[in-house]
Amino acid sequence: MSLYQVNKLLRDINRSAELAQRCRTEPEAVLQHYELTAEEQKAIQDWQVRTLYDMGANPLLLLVYSMATGRDMRAYVTAINQKS
Amino acid sequence: MAEIVAGIATSHVPFLAMHPQFELAEEGQRTRVVAGLGEARTLLEQARPDVIVIFSTDHFDRCFYDNLPAFLVGVGEEAEGPVNEWLGMPKVKLKVAGGLGRFIVSEGLDNGVDFALSQELPLDHAEVVPLSFLTPQWDIPIVPVVVNAFAPPMPSLKRCWQVGAFIRKAIERWPEKKRVAVVGTGGLSHWVGPPETGKVNAEFDHWFLQCLVEGKSAEVIEKYKKAEELEKIAGNGGQEIRDWLAVAGAMPARLKPRVLAYEPIPQWATGTGVMAWARS
Repeated sequence: MSLYQVNKLLRDINRSAELAQRCRTEPEAVLQHYELTAEEQKAIQDWQVRTLYDMGANPLLLLVYSMATGRDMRAYVTAINQKS
Repeated sequence: MAEIVAGIATSHVPFLAMHPQFELAEEGQRTRVVAGLGEARTLLEQARPDVIVIFSTDHFDRCFYDNLPAFLVGVGEEAEGPVNEWLGMPKVKLKVAGGLGRFIVSEGLDNGVDFALSQELPLDHAEVVPLSFLTPQWDIPIVPVVVNAFAPPMPSLKRCWQVGAFIRKAIERWPEKKRVAVVGTGGLSHWVGPPETGKVNAEFDHWFLQCLVEGKSAEVIEKYKKAEELEKIAGNGGQEIRDWLAVAGAMPARLKPRVLAYEPIPQWATGTGVMAWARS
């Protein structure tokens, strides 16, 4: 159930430029609307896409959410290959 | 009765229409891909379609795990997109051939293909990018058919081919004297988001294209019965060959397939191909 909420947040950010902006400027206010574990919240706030991927978040959503929040492909590829 | 007059299958990688990402590909490669799309446009213009049925996928822009159809037909009067602003593409609006869309849905429900429908289906880059090359005047109404090739569990390759074949029959039963082209978008091999992002499997792509040219869709279907097996060899983005197989299934024998372009482009993270079915 919880991972569904992670994917849902990523989907919402992908769909809304306004939400993508708010996710960077006031992440806590955005995240409180989703049922996330503390670990998931931290991974999203710190843009730990590899951690989210290892948890089982959908990889396509991870990429589009990253693009929507202003990361480029090169930065994404580095981050998704960075094991914590 | 309506008639199928042409088929096109093409990648829809957004970098084709994004700058400066477009320029990241080697000049020769991007020139050959654009030339292939130009040739596809010429073939379409020669075929003079009144309507385009376009098989595409989604990228969680329209569908999600709260409501996830296998085959979703747009039946409204017009459609606008792409949905995502971060792509930086200008939004376009085009007409939807709702009459044909509704006919396909009702033929399906009467005859064993349970299509979902949407009266307000927005466009994704999966339609906008290819059509910006194929019909840049945006003057041909479309029937969008969104195939779930992005969110597991997905319909099998076999089912996608069968749905293409079913839609051919539906078009041929449609009591309007119209010319219909069928377009499919997506693929070829690419990994979208996992650690392998950027990888391309040109060997798989060449094999797949050759299978379609030789009319051997069944070989692809037989080899990749499980989505997991396809993902290992062609990536999660490679699942989009469903849309190519749907076009192959929809093609009458009189239209002959050929490859117009193929380039493995790691800078676009995609094996980028263009194919057409036309009168020889």
